[in-house]
Amino acid sequence: MAPPQQSQRSPSPSQPSGKGEVSDLKSQLRQLAGSRAPGVDDSKRELFKKVISYMTIGIDVSPLFGEMVMCSAASDIVLKKMCYLYVGNYAKVNPDLALLTINFLQRDCKDEDPMIRGLALRSLCSLRVANLVEYLVGPLGSGLKDSNSYVRMVAVIGVLKLYHISASTCVDAEFPSTLKHLMLNDPDALVVANCLSALQEIWTLEASTAEEAAREREALLSKPVVYYFLNRIKEFSEWAQCLVLELAAKYVPSDSNEIFDIMNLLEDRLQHANGAVVLATTKVFLQLTLSMADVHQQVYERIKAPLLTLVSSGSPEQSYAVLSHLHLLVMRAPYIFSGDYKHFYCQYNEPSYVKKLKLEMLTAVANESNTYEIVTELCEYAANVDIPIARESIRAVGKIALQQYDVNAIVDRLLQFLEMEKDYVTAEALVLVKDLLRKYPQWSQDCIAVVGNISSKNVQEPKAKAALIWMLGEYSQDMQDAPYALESLVENWDEEHSPEVRLHLLTAVMKCFFKKPPETQKALGAALAAGLADYHQDVHDRALFYYRLLQYNVSVAERVVNPPKQAVSVFADTQSSEVKDRIFDEFNSLSVVYQKPSYMFTDKEHRGPFEFSDELGNLSIGAESADTVVPAQSVEANDKDLLLSTTEKEDGRDLGSNGSAYSAPSYSSAATSQSHEELALTNASVLGQAPASSFAIDDLLGLDFPVGGTAAAPPPPPPSLRLNPKAVLDPGTFQQKWRQLPISSSQEYSMSPQGVALLTSPNALLKHMKDISIHCIASGGQSPNFKYFFFAQKAEETSTFLVEYIINTSSAKSQIKIKADDQSSSEAFSTLFQSALSKFGSP
Amino acid sequence: MPPLMGIEFLCRVADVLNDYLGGLNEDLIKDNFVIVYELLDEMIDNGFPLTTEPNILQEMIAPPNIVSKMLSVVTGNSSNVSDVLPGATASRVPWRTADAKYANNEVYVDLVEEMDAIISRDGVLVKCEINGEVQVNSHITGIPDLTLSFANPSILDDVRFHRCVRFRPWESHQVLSFVPPDGQFKLMSYRVRKLKSTPIYVKPQLTSDGGTCRVNVMVGIRNDPGKTIDSVTVQFILPPCVLSADLTSNHGTVNIFSDKTCTWSIGRIPKDKAPSMTGTLVLENGLERLHVFPTFRVGFRIMGVALSGLQIEKLDLLKSVPYRFYKGFRALTQAGEFEVRS
Repeated sequence: MAPPQQSQRSPSPSQPSGKGEVSDLKSQLRQLAGSRAPGVDDSKRELFKKVISYMTIGIDVSPLFGEMVMCSAASDIVLKKMCYLYVGNYAKVNPDLALLTINFLQRDCKDEDPMIRGLALRSLCSLRVANLVEYLVGPLGSGLKDSNSYVRMVAVIGVLKLYHISASTCVDAEFPSTLKHLMLNDPDALVVANCLSALQEIWTLEASTAEEAAREREALLSKPVVYYFLNRIKEFSEWAQCLVLELAAKYVPSDSNEIFDIMNLLEDRLQHANGAVVLATTKVFLQLTLSMADVHQQVYERIKAPLLTLVSSGSPEQSYAVLSHLHLLVMRAPYIFSGDYKHFYCQYNEPSYVKKLKLEMLTAVANESNTYEIVTELCEYAANVDIPIARESIRAVGKIALQQYDVNAIVDRLLQFLEMEKDYVTAEALVLVKDLLRKYPQWSQDCIAVVGNISSKNVQEPKAKAALIWMLGEYSQDMQDAPYALESLVENWDEEHSPEVRLHLLTAVMKCFFKKPPETQKALGAALAAGLADYHQDVHDRALFYYRLLQYNVSVAERVVNPPKQAVSVFADTQSSEVKDRIFDEFNSLSVVYQKPSYMFTDKEHRGPFEFSDELGNLSIGAESADTVVPAQSVEANDKDLLLSTTEKEDGRDLGSNGSAYSAPSYSSAATSQSHEELALTNASVLGQAPASSFAIDDLLGLDFPVGGTAAAPPPPPPSLRLNPKAVLDPGTFQQKWRQLPISSSQEYSMSPQGVALLTSPNALLKHMKDISIHCIASGGQSPNFKYFFFAQKAEETSTFLVEYIINTSSAKSQIKIKADDQSSSEAFSTLFQSALSKFGSP
Repeated sequence: MPPLMGIEFLCRVADVLNDYLGGLNEDLIKDNFVIVYELLDEMIDNGFPLTTEPNILQEMIAPPNIVSKMLSVVTGNSSNVSDVLPGATASRVPWRTADAKYANNEVYVDLVEEMDAIISRDGVLVKCEINGEVQVNSHITGIPDLTLSFANPSILDDVRFHRCVRFRPWESHQVLSFVPPDGQFKLMSYRVRKLKSTPIYVKPQLTSDGGTCRVNVMVGIRNDPGKTIDSVTVQFILPPCVLSADLTSNHGTVNIFSDKTCTWSIGRIPKDKAPSMTGTLVLENGLERLHVFPTFRVGFRIMGVALSGLQIEKLDLLKSVPYRFYKGFRALTQAGEFEVRS
């Protein structure tokens, strides 16, 4: 409606406007209010626009309230709309005005024009002033019965707004049941859709408190209702279709005929222009067929083409969202997409987050028939200008090599990377060659020839350097100058900043020593000396350990440091399959885009009580399943750094397998511990490290004396509360009780550093607590945040205690919430629980 | 909340605002904030999208175009909101206004295709596919029922339809049967995979020697589509290790911008000679040869041809109508993500 006097009308935010202008406007408005002259509407509009633009840029124009309302008495819709906007903005902050506003809007709710009725009702409900809700009920009631669908549609959403302002008023007026009636009987699709969305929200929120609402909520998923919606789906707007499809995805059909009926009905939705509809349909298909393996595969085939089309059309945001979903599906069923690998080729100017996803998919779909082409393509990216992507693509080549049987060609490619003379390419390739050799030792001859030519001076990145050093040590028998290369590295010990590299250097020199003793002896001596003087605790410890090991018996040392290795068959996956399944269950939500299940990124406070029970169910229930989750999580944590973690694991395994040989020697334990004690103490004093670390060493050696203030205080005398060691509680009961009982005690607690150190995985605490008859029903979370649900029962009676325990291991802060059947004993239980925590981690 | 619902909705809001304001930027929004308020009011309420169909919105809130301004001056009716509620909200075809009237009834159908291709340094076509759209601009009186059929629908790999297209006729005999919305809209989009050739070739050659790199790029017609190929451009970004570049061409102009983007605008490929661009890149000190090879992005337009080979067979009005109507067909192919590696 581009007004003619543009220059006068649009004040910029920088222009300071004060009271003068407001009072100016006021008098102008007053003049116009009563006027009936022709063209007066136009001038009113100009003034209104001015007022609104002032309001938008934050100038207080509330003194004009009376004049604004007077002027908008005329039936001009634009004036009305602007006036509604104005009153809506000021009623919230100014209760006196709110009452006036309500009168004004209530009058308009009875206007002849349905548009005005609708708009007035919408503005009325948008006021959100809690103490004025009683004025809403009347207009809403008549709005729901209005003859015009526009007004009904607005009224339905109005009911939802009323519910959020005052749930009781809304329920008392029996609006939900009116909505239900409308939903099932109204001829207008938009009204029906709004009813559905409003009812879902209301009943979900009500369900936790009212049984009836929970039943109604279930009823939404009943066959007649779902069928009613599905049969009308084409009448709905695209957004409402999404809503209906969401509903259908939750519906559980009784037999396979029903499933096929629904899929036939919805099949054309996959062709819809709106990506949201396509994705929602995909979800329905996937969920319906979960139990039918063959059909599920066919569904993948069917949805493939629409999803691939969606990726290549639309904005980058759309295509990324679709790509994330496709990524999930590709990871679940790579073989179905193996023919479509070209779709995952990266375009030059795609953003790197898209490229990264595509690279992962390319890796997943590689099989015997397409590996050659995929690897060729990936090699193109290695020369990419975008360095992170170049790195990713080299890693992808490596991953493909690790999952294929015929790696001949790939090894050649990787070796070519090593010769590309670009530092990051060399670095990544080195890491890969190392992993590759661990899986396919038979390739060592070819690789070593190339690796031997690489000067360690050209490799700067710690991971790559560590990989190179590992290979030097592992294959020193085949490399002529390995001892000398290692020697020169040892000479530059002080310039090596990464402890990881120094650790590897120590081990490599040891290995080399066993293979070529005369050449390496000098280097070994230098390395051990440098290691013993190293300021880094781990490096120091490892040097000392090697030193003593050699001192004790060289052949034992060789068995410990350089045992025959088995080829690694499978490298650990970064994400546990359970987490992946959870993400799949949450298909078509942000979980897929973030690649983690919703409980990891949503705050519990922001979720309704209903989701809470959901979450409990999702957390691993019972001790056995906790065991299955925990290793996966620890792997996840470790695997961020494949090299470090695998070598650590390997070392650990070495120790384990040689355990008998290792523990056999009768060390004078007193002497050892003494020297260690000295070391620990000098460390603490010289380097000013936290006493905790020295304590940890003593701890490691089983020493039991308190150091400084951090030591565990002597445990308080056990309270006279005895717990039943064989308490049982099923998860359902737990959830129910948790919902019913009030919080009897809520406390903050700081975990001792030793305890935190042990808490690398959730189940360490479980065992500790179980020893004192506090059982875990569910646990979960990812480092540093863990969450537990414990329960305990009194020994003599069936009174139960429930505990929610949340800890952040990085800050050592934790929170205890206790609920108890018997409120009087909760205090005693709380003390018991805290004393149990204080003992956690201490010997 | 499904992520795509949010994104699609935002895209739709942007489209609608674009339609209304003739563009989308901060100033336009500031100048028309009342319209923006009105539109948002109708499009979303309490976080749930309501009406996003442009036709319906236009009936509720008149767009601020010249015509309506003229009308308001002439008729003296200055409201930009219709007095009656849109009929379409209640009709069976919510995407169409019930009472469109035109003196000249006409339908224009455009095939607009974009070719995405990746060509390796040896000239091998790594990947080539076409994303196309059927755009229709219809101005027909009443509620017309149209059918559109293709001569070769089998080449289409995957299709997506505007909501007005009936699914069954397409499924049974690949005919598009629909009641069109009024005005311009996207009837369907499609994808054609596995194309065997591209209309033009681009052959980059880079040879490094002693700190400089010689570049030679040749462009020419590979498969004559029968129509002129114009707006041919070749664009690439110089690798960061290049200090300076000196490039010349025997046809068209070469521009090197400060962000190291290098654009060679060729325009129309001449009949008598093959355009080529030659020159040298000076590398950073200490670098013997180039390790990072630029990717050449190619642009072109071909009017009158749909390279996928898709052909419209006929467009019919289902019922006989008392007026004549004019049908027009056009086709256009342009480069999408067309890249050549070197």
